[in-house]
Amino acid sequence: MPTPLLLERFQTFVTIFLGIFIEAVPFLLAGSLVSGFIEVFVSREAVLRLAPRRAALAALAGASLGMVFPVCECGVVPVTRRLYRKGMPIPLGIAFLLAAPVINPVVILSTYAAFGWGPILWGRVAFTFLIAFAVGLLFRWATPQETFAATLALQPTAEPLPPRRLALGIVAGPAVDLRAGASRALVAAGDDFLDMARYLVVGSLLAAGMQTVVPQSALLAIGAGPVTSVVAMMLLAFVLSICSTVDAFVALAFVGTFTPASILAFLVFGPMVDIKSTAMFLGVFQRRKVLYLVLLPASMVLLLGVFLNLNVGL
Amino acid sequence: MAYGLKGLVMLALAYFLFSRITNGTLFFYINNRFAWLTFLAVIGFFAVALGYLAQARLVRQMLEGGHGRRLGAPGSPDGEGRAGESSSHAHGQMAAATEDRRLGAPSSPDEEGRDHEEADHDHEYDHGHSHRLSRVGLALVLLPVVLGLLVPARPLGAGAVGNREVSVGRLSTAAAPRAGQVASPARAKNLLDWLMAFDQAQDPAAFDGQPANLLGFVYRDSRFGDDSFLLSRFVVSCCVADATPIGLVVRTPNASQLALDQWVQVSGHFQAGEFDGHPMPILVADVITPTVAPNQPYLFP
Repeated sequence: MPTPLLLERFQTFVTIFLGIFIEAVPFLLAGSLVSGFIEVFVSREAVLRLAPRRAALAALAGASLGMVFPVCECGVVPVTRRLYRKGMPIPLGIAFLLAAPVINPVVILSTYAAFGWGPILWGRVAFTFLIAFAVGLLFRWATPQETFAATLALQPTAEPLPPRRLALGIVAGPAVDLRAGASRALVAAGDDFLDMARYLVVGSLLAAGMQTVVPQSALLAIGAGPVTSVVAMMLLAFVLSICSTVDAFVALAFVGTFTPASILAFLVFGPMVDIKSTAMFLGVFQRRKVLYLVLLPASMVLLLGVFLNLNVGL
Repeated sequence: MAYGLKGLVMLALAYFLFSRITNGTLFFYINNRFAWLTFLAVIGFFAVALGYLAQARLVRQMLEGGHGRRLGAPGSPDGEGRAGESSSHAHGQMAAATEDRRLGAPSSPDEEGRDHEEADHDHEYDHGHSHRLSRVGLALVLLPVVLGLLVPARPLGAGAVGNREVSVGRLSTAAAPRAGQVASPARAKNLLDWLMAFDQAQDPAAFDGQPANLLGFVYRDSRFGDDSFLLSRFVVSCCVADATPIGLVVRTPNASQLALDQWVQVSGHFQAGEFDGHPMPILVADVITPTVAPNQPYLFP
């Protein structure tokens, strides 16, 4: 009875796809709204003035920025994209993109709720910070022309009329009229959302497809060795594409089966890179840079996980 | 792409999410503690849609007022730009104007071609939203809405169990509950509560004779004989992407008569037994009542 089975599979696929989409879409919308309001109320001059020039400082700032912008891995992409249009240095944006989904109050709290105060919690925060900082630093040599996707690079940032200074160094755009400003921000947010949502849809389709076709046991059976367990958990994080605000509770399920270091790998790698965020990166960066953004954190997390497995019991 | 069209897409998304909430199928997809996020998203999409529609009206008003006056060549900002409008605004209007012109008058093939050139030309200045991709992009954004409305909503069932690690009679790899959480005695224990209790007790015989009345769907694979099936539920901590099946072995003489995926209410009592080489409590059924799927098909830890 091949037909019912196929139908069954399709039904499962649709349910998982819609599940990922419905779960992620509020976060993407929230990120787009933040981005829309940045567009209207934060000027390029302010970004240029506030952002550190030196790569190391920029990467440091980027890795910490999530404490101010609590976004998960879906919301972070439109915000990063908008800030790039406003002239944010490349290392800052890269570090922000990778770190913010973990280094923000919401995710730290949810990790605390799942694992309590312990090596998993501070390990997650510390290693995410380090890896985001390191990858951000590596991007100091990247030029905008070879980094950004065509849609973004073409961008002549809407550079507006003489800005009006407000407190805190934030510079208001010309829209002093709050109502007109809010309406423009909503339109900018909508444009951002429509731009990024297609990548979210493609990513969700792929993730749901993988989950429907590849049995979880195949991933889990990869092994319990010091290397293979880390690889298995990283692959799982990549395929599951769960929002970083809740992945700690999902990771909890694997505590008995996997070593703490591989759980840590799951919690550090998943928020940085998974199927749907990789798809969304394509809306910001050129393909080669997206590859770097996947492979650099992947290799660092792998090395770290294996090292911890071999040397520290945790 | 015209503002009006984008506004409609936003309305479609708002409607889709709202309909999931009102028809109760939202819980087929996500854990109920995230429902408020979906609700906020409905409001957000609605607000953005209003923003687009307001913008569309503004553009229409300007076009009517402008009377065919060209809305400024690319690059030269509209000199009369009113306060509260930036160049970005003007660009948007320009693109919309192009779009409107194209929609407005039926044009000869020649003209059509010229219009396209113009559109491409404008495109550089139009915030980089690629017009060439916009159709595909729009279709992709609407795909969840279309799939959601066309394919009848169904929660994960027996067909999805086989692809996942199913925890039978214990929770080692299942979506583990939050530490310290114990079922409140006030409500009847569900499948997850029992499995948690089994995990804590270690000794499968500790539950011998205890009665239970449990809801779940029927799952079977080659490990089950004619006299047993798995009473199963999915545990979802975030959305169905992390759904993990859990189950309890039920012993009943007419197990083979129950259809796969059928929801059943089983009442019976526990007896220590063995499944697939593991000792565990097994539910010996007294009464099995076929039933419909509950409103919340998943268990939320």
